[in-house]
Amino acid sequence: MSAPPAGTGRTWTRAFTDDGPADVDELGGKGSGLVRMTRDGLRVPPGYVITTGACHVYLDRHTLPDGLEDEVRRQLSSLETTTGKTFGAGPEPLLLSVRSGAPVSMPGMMDTVLNLGLSREAAVALAQRSGDARFMADLVARFHTMYSEIVLGALDDRPAVDALVTETDLGDDPGAVYDRVWAAAEAALDEELSASVPATPWEQLVHAVEAVFRSWNTRRAWTYREHHGIPHDMGTAVVVQSMVFGNLDDDSGSGVAFTRDPVTGEPGLYGEYLAHSQGEDVVAGVRTPDRVQEALPADLLAELERTGAELEARHGDVLDIEFTVEHGVLYFLQVRSAKRTPEAAVRIAADLLADGTASAARALTLVTADQLRQAQRPGFDPDALATARDEAQVLLTGIGACPGQVSGELVLDPDRARKRADAGASVVLGRSVTSPADLHGMIAAAGIVTATGGSTSHAAVVARALGTACVVGAADLEIDEAARTVRIGNRVLSEGDPVSLDGGSGELFAGALPTTTPAAANEAMDTLLAAAADAAGSEVLARVTLPADVEAACAAGATGLVTAIDDVLAASGDLNRLVETLLEKSLNGVGALSEMRDAVAEHFAPLLVAARAAEVRDVDVRAIDLLADESRELLQQTAVTTRHPELALPLGVPDLIRAQREGLVRAAGDAGYGGRLRLAVRHVSDPAEAQALAALDEGADAPAVGTYLTSPRAVLGAAELAAHSGVVWLEVRALQAAMFGIPARQFLTAEPLDSYLARGLLAVDPRHELDPVVVHLLRDVPADTGVRLSGTVADQVAATLYGLGFRRFAVDLPEVRPLLLGLGRAALAG
Amino acid sequence: MTVTTLAKPDYDVLNVLALKKMADATAIAAVTSMPASDVEGRLEGLAGQGLAVVAGGSALPTDEAEPALAATAAAVYAPVRADDDVLALVEKFETTNSQFLAAMSSWQQVEVGGRKVTNDHSDAAYDEKVITKIERLVGRLEALIDALAGHDARFATYSTRLATALEAVDAGDHDLVSSPTRDSVHNIWFEFHEDLLRTLGRERAE
Repeated sequence: MSAPPAGTGRTWTRAFTDDGPADVDELGGKGSGLVRMTRDGLRVPPGYVITTGACHVYLDRHTLPDGLEDEVRRQLSSLETTTGKTFGAGPEPLLLSVRSGAPVSMPGMMDTVLNLGLSREAAVALAQRSGDARFMADLVARFHTMYSEIVLGALDDRPAVDALVTETDLGDDPGAVYDRVWAAAEAALDEELSASVPATPWEQLVHAVEAVFRSWNTRRAWTYREHHGIPHDMGTAVVVQSMVFGNLDDDSGSGVAFTRDPVTGEPGLYGEYLAHSQGEDVVAGVRTPDRVQEALPADLLAELERTGAELEARHGDVLDIEFTVEHGVLYFLQVRSAKRTPEAAVRIAADLLADGTASAARALTLVTADQLRQAQRPGFDPDALATARDEAQVLLTGIGACPGQVSGELVLDPDRARKRADAGASVVLGRSVTSPADLHGMIAAAGIVTATGGSTSHAAVVARALGTACVVGAADLEIDEAARTVRIGNRVLSEGDPVSLDGGSGELFAGALPTTTPAAANEAMDTLLAAAADAAGSEVLARVTLPADVEAACAAGATGLVTAIDDVLAASGDLNRLVETLLEKSLNGVGALSEMRDAVAEHFAPLLVAARAAEVRDVDVRAIDLLADESRELLQQTAVTTRHPELALPLGVPDLIRAQREGLVRAAGDAGYGGRLRLAVRHVSDPAEAQALAALDEGADAPAVGTYLTSPRAVLGAAELAAHSGVVWLEVRALQAAMFGIPARQFLTAEPLDSYLARGLLAVDPRHELDPVVVHLLRDVPADTGVRLSGTVADQVAATLYGLGFRRFAVDLPEVRPLLLGLGRAALAG
Repeated sequence: MTVTTLAKPDYDVLNVLALKKMADATAIAAVTSMPASDVEGRLEGLAGQGLAVVAGGSALPTDEAEPALAATAAAVYAPVRADDDVLALVEKFETTNSQFLAAMSSWQQVEVGGRKVTNDHSDAAYDEKVITKIERLVGRLEALIDALAGHDARFATYSTRLATALEAVDAGDHDLVSSPTRDSVHNIWFEFHEDLLRTLGRERAE
């Protein structure tokens, strides 16, 4: 058990101003935070902490420790002296907040009871002091609701009581108002739970403290601790703090300020203040607050700005400051890291880095990979959007339920939506109303618009869970399912017509609007990613298929490109013909292979033109893989390898590799591309194969030929393979698939692996985590091997690979920035 | 055109199939507490009646399924539709349902400077508060589910499924709050709501 601070005569409690360590184990997270804020010189409303030691006793004996009640009384009278207020009585009543504060935040724990101390006498005094009976009615209702919710387990909806508060006038008789509200609140609680709130503040305080202690052992808290290995005997502290009020007079008020704009990230104090008001009025939107710059008296604004800047510098992050002014004195209620939009997160991190507030290591932790992914998500081209609005292409405006700007063909039925999506179309699903039977169509759609529902309808909830752009409540949408048409006002659209949907603004446009990455976001991202790239010292190549991808890859910071023969041919629409040719013709002479060479030459030239224009000097190409599990149907594998069994092995037909290389040489020549160009073949695992590949070499001009390591055998022999290869890539997805013995195509979709993992049958998700066995294998792979990653790259994967010494990576185009961030962070960590 | 009405266990199987749109016998068995072999037989039967299509182990309802379900529900659940206790609880459910959807929304989005942004789940205290609320709201369903189960025991499976999902959420699998592809709290609630509407012969409003 912890010793009390010397000389205070206190065993179970600690005032914020008492000496002694701000020990989280003893004071809990919230308590130690308030002690630290007080020590940092912030004016925090005075209070004290009941330590975890008292909780240990309570949990042990099911009764409060001896002497605790006396100590609480002494702390109360000390609070009364400091604040000049009286607990449970006038003329200026002392009200308290009671909060749980465990050393670790966990579910199921009691939250906060505010406004504790409202005896009838205190309530009447408060109404007289503020000249506002309605304010008092509101406090009484809030207290009763919170106490019921937190201590007794009720829900927080009390429409009847709320209505009573709304009806109360400023000048109503305070005693009558108190009686009315209290009786209504008690009636609501009795109806809901057959329970009652004790009438005296002292009893309320003791019960609230006990409720905090009991909440340590709720089923949910217990489950959480079991699952996270948190000891059950840690216990929780209780924070008891005096409350300050912003609505006592015109020299009082309350507000919230961010040290920077949390929506745009723009520097400068951004906040709202409402004189003569309590914090909840601002949150509830009862009254419209004013900007702090205009509403706060100059001296208080200066104090807030100065403190905000100091705190921001100390924390190296943007903060959200909740404050109240009581009788002209500024109090800090809460200071925490501010929530922000993805765009703001990027801008803020870049700005804090640029002005020296945050080190590079710190700045890179202020943006998550997901925020970066969202911030780089392309939106409608601003000019096209403006034109669309000017030219009355807005079909309707509903309620934006999930942001995102997408175009696609309008489809009015979930089955057909899925069919069209499976066929590669971008689909906007339009429905009158959605039911669970629509889920498959909603999953397939790029955007969803419904005629009914609000921002909290099932459709909205599902869309947000999917991250799919969604507009609901588009009442003008009249769908004729039989005719497959939709009438919007006097316009009629048919299924298949192109539309564009803005899930933020709620607009639906006729026609497909072009999309771009927002320019403003790019600038801040560039600053931040330059720092990341600098620290990481790694090459990050982007996987591209189309010439248009090349510019985007370079803009994202890619140092080179990777692509594949089969991908480029598939995108050109020529692949089917070539596969048919392989099936029909022989592999000799002017048969299928010369057609392959010509096709490669034709379709790679535009890509290499784009590479030359973008000054890219590093392009690695993967040879066609007739065994790839993920393109079995596309390549008609069974038929092709039945016709030519030798194609089932990497060097079964060396001329196939020659044909591809000759095609590339010709494409490079036609395009005038002079950078490095190499070709790598999958599934090689033997030094003899690597040597045979090297023997195909035909002079200095020809692209070097190398290998993609895809099997455990290849990875174990990587060093020797590398000695004979012109280029070596390690393909993580293929390797994980081989290690797990699960076909690689199962790694491309959510199901069936999601359900399988949910059943606890695999300790590692092979799509998003590196298997420890794979990590073990990678230790002996030469560090100059390139690592090819597929799909979304988790930070942990980037960190592990960086830690193993790898410095050359290739990822899908949208993952270039997140990977650079992850590598930079890994380089600067520790 | 005459509308087929169904025998009770067939109704249960087709009802789940219509809720899930596409499902195999195992998935249907899991939520109807029937053996999978029994479900399989009934799916065959339903296919024979033209109410379902079975392909590659999975079944789909046909366009005739909804009218058949509606006609059957009207007959089978006439006593439910006349039960004042149930109807009073349904009345309350409307409120609980909107509270639940609001809680789901606050799970997915947080307000930043007046703008809703995706909840990145970095604020554990906030998340836990929302889960507590969701759990309490699920608790408010119990009386209605019990009342319905008094008429037809199959409704009790919703309680079991919700409890299983919540337990997993508490153990840290937060995906089960609102994932559309798993047996998440929202999915189960959504299906229950749809089932309730069919049972009562009502139309979905949103």
